[in-house]
Amino acid sequence: MSKLPRIVRQTFTIARRDFVATVFTPTFLLFLLSPLFTIGFGLVGGMGASSVASGSTDKTRIVAIVAPAQQAAMRAADARLRAMFPRGDRPATLTLENPSADPQAQARAAFAVRKGADVSAALFGDLTHPTILYDGQGRGDARYLAALAEATLRTNPTQTAPLSTATLTSIARIVPTEGGHKQAALVAVIGIFFLTLLLAGQLVGTMMEERSNKVIEVLAAAVSLEAVFFGKLLGMFGSALLFVAFWATLVSQISGILPAQYASAIGQIGPAVGVPIFFLLFFAYFAMAYLLLGAVFLGAGAQASTPRELQMLSLPITIIQVAMVGLALKAIGAPDAASTRFIELFPLSSPYAMAARAADKPDLWPHVAALGWQALWVAIAITIGARVFRRGVLKSGSGRPLFRRRNAVDISVS
Amino acid sequence: MGQEFAVRASGLIKRFGDRRVVDGVDIAVPTGTIYGVLGPNGAGKTTTLRMLLGIIEPDGGTRTLLGHERPREASDRVGYLPEERGLYPAMRAKDAIAFMGALRGLDLKTGRKRAVALLEAAGLGHAVDTKIRKLSKGMAQLVQLLGAVVHQPDLLVLDEPFSGLDPVNQERLEALILAERDRGATVLFSTHVMAHAERLCDRLAIIAGGKRRFEGTVAEARGLLPMRAHYVPERDDAAIATHLPQDATHDERGWHFEVPDGGVEQALSRLIGAGHGIAGLSIERPGLHDAFVRIVGNAALEQGQ
Repeated sequence: MSKLPRIVRQTFTIARRDFVATVFTPTFLLFLLSPLFTIGFGLVGGMGASSVASGSTDKTRIVAIVAPAQQAAMRAADARLRAMFPRGDRPATLTLENPSADPQAQARAAFAVRKGADVSAALFGDLTHPTILYDGQGRGDARYLAALAEATLRTNPTQTAPLSTATLTSIARIVPTEGGHKQAALVAVIGIFFLTLLLAGQLVGTMMEERSNKVIEVLAAAVSLEAVFFGKLLGMFGSALLFVAFWATLVSQISGILPAQYASAIGQIGPAVGVPIFFLLFFAYFAMAYLLLGAVFLGAGAQASTPRELQMLSLPITIIQVAMVGLALKAIGAPDAASTRFIELFPLSSPYAMAARAADKPDLWPHVAALGWQALWVAIAITIGARVFRRGVLKSGSGRPLFRRRNAVDISVS
Repeated sequence: MGQEFAVRASGLIKRFGDRRVVDGVDIAVPTGTIYGVLGPNGAGKTTTLRMLLGIIEPDGGTRTLLGHERPREASDRVGYLPEERGLYPAMRAKDAIAFMGALRGLDLKTGRKRAVALLEAAGLGHAVDTKIRKLSKGMAQLVQLLGAVVHQPDLLVLDEPFSGLDPVNQERLEALILAERDRGATVLFSTHVMAHAERLCDRLAIIAGGKRRFEGTVAEARGLLPMRAHYVPERDDAAIATHLPQDATHDERGWHFEVPDGGVEQALSRLIGAGHGIAGLSIERPGLHDAFVRIVGNAALEQGQ
């Protein structure tokens, strides 16, 4: 007999069974690849995506490092050229800078993170032969800067107008852009939502399987129902680990396979707290969201005696979860709003909103507080969930509607 | 083990809504015996067993399982076959058995080894790697039973273990129960089929209407009813009834009546004197079935009042 404390041993026995039953099935492959099918859905409509996208486009800049004498002409040329673009397709806002002793270093430095702005392309050098640096998403802006250089030269009436020949150079970013932070936040929120939704569904599925196979009676006789409850949560969490590890490995390696400009674009998607800490925080917030939702789903699932009842119970929970994601996406679009503080504090939306915050803001202390706060709610949810689970599991499997179960009876009486 | 009784319960009560499903049941299962809980459908057998195992809590009374007042503390030493059989359909037979052992503290590796040995001993060696969903109902039931004994429990609790089994598998199950008792385990099982109880039980309790109506050995249960005489006269006519006890009944095999307190001699003398003679006579002890029907019938009458 094992020396582990009984409840731990029993929990792991249940967890192992659920993990194996979930992972070693053909449907797990579908689950693993489901992000590919749900990329469109993953953007959760235009709401979050468009607000995030518009937020990041507004904050993109192009930089021209030109002599002060040429700046007025360039500004005029920019105004003239810019007016030719439809409103939604206009190039990023132009920022003019005086050249320093080392304009090339100055141009590269422009790509470093600036508060409230991301630079997508930077021009330096003589306008007849300028060099334009651009990042993974700035090729269009780089071409615009080349056109702007020529247009600037043409505004000088004394100029015999040699055509400008620009050299366009793609650079790899060493730090993510502010837009990249937003994108990382979006990925975090959608990722947590997507994972918890799928796992909670599977969790309730195994619960129903045991109810319909009558295995629950065997489990209830052998181990405490708390061990069954925790075992189920843990088993499915193991499946999630595998899922996250698979996709994390894939995404981390994919930039090495992609063409440089796309790899650079991916490189721009990065969290403010740094990748390792973000990964840890993402995982911690995912765990919190999953445990909260899983406890609610398991508690509710134990009350259902038929798949139809289960669907009826699951739908409102899922709707609430989608609403929480909507709130978190709103928080990404307005990180400093008062409503965002509420969204970060509200227990059901907190994991999503705080994961988004980790992508957007570098402070770490709010995460310590948030994880403590969420852990408290997880403990409450699990305590209540386990009790509801115990009561529900030992009720009749007669399939009577919930509203008729005022005095629930045992599985069988003989 | 050391305890005189593997299971003791006193005054167990369970209510579901306004109804007392179990109403003050006392049970004492001596260690190392086979103990039957008998009763008609709806008598409260399953609920009693579930309370004894700690699956549900009683509303009143006390119980001790293998010396523990909290039954769950003894769960690693208990094997249980519930009335509603349940196995994971996608599991292989040996894994299902090992899993049930693991729930009771047996490591999986040992569990699988024992599972193979048990399956082979039960004549299911060919099904070791077969998934549960591909087994027949009877085979799956045997697999679950093997899962209940794989960790070699001190107490084996079986709820209606014979239901759904064909005669061959019923015989296998009886052999397995006897083997468990011989190993030193205590076996507690519920049934409403008297033949199994009669063959297997060292002691039994009869429950009806949520109350315990009898507790004792099979012989004691049978002893509750008087012996019955089966008499075949040499000459049978209408006058014979006047010489027989008042409860005598007649069928194609002859006359039947309860043996009076003073024995059959007096009645036989009267019959011989009247010229009816004796072509055949046997005195039979009533079966457990008769005792059960009498006890349960009395309980039904009592409840009806």
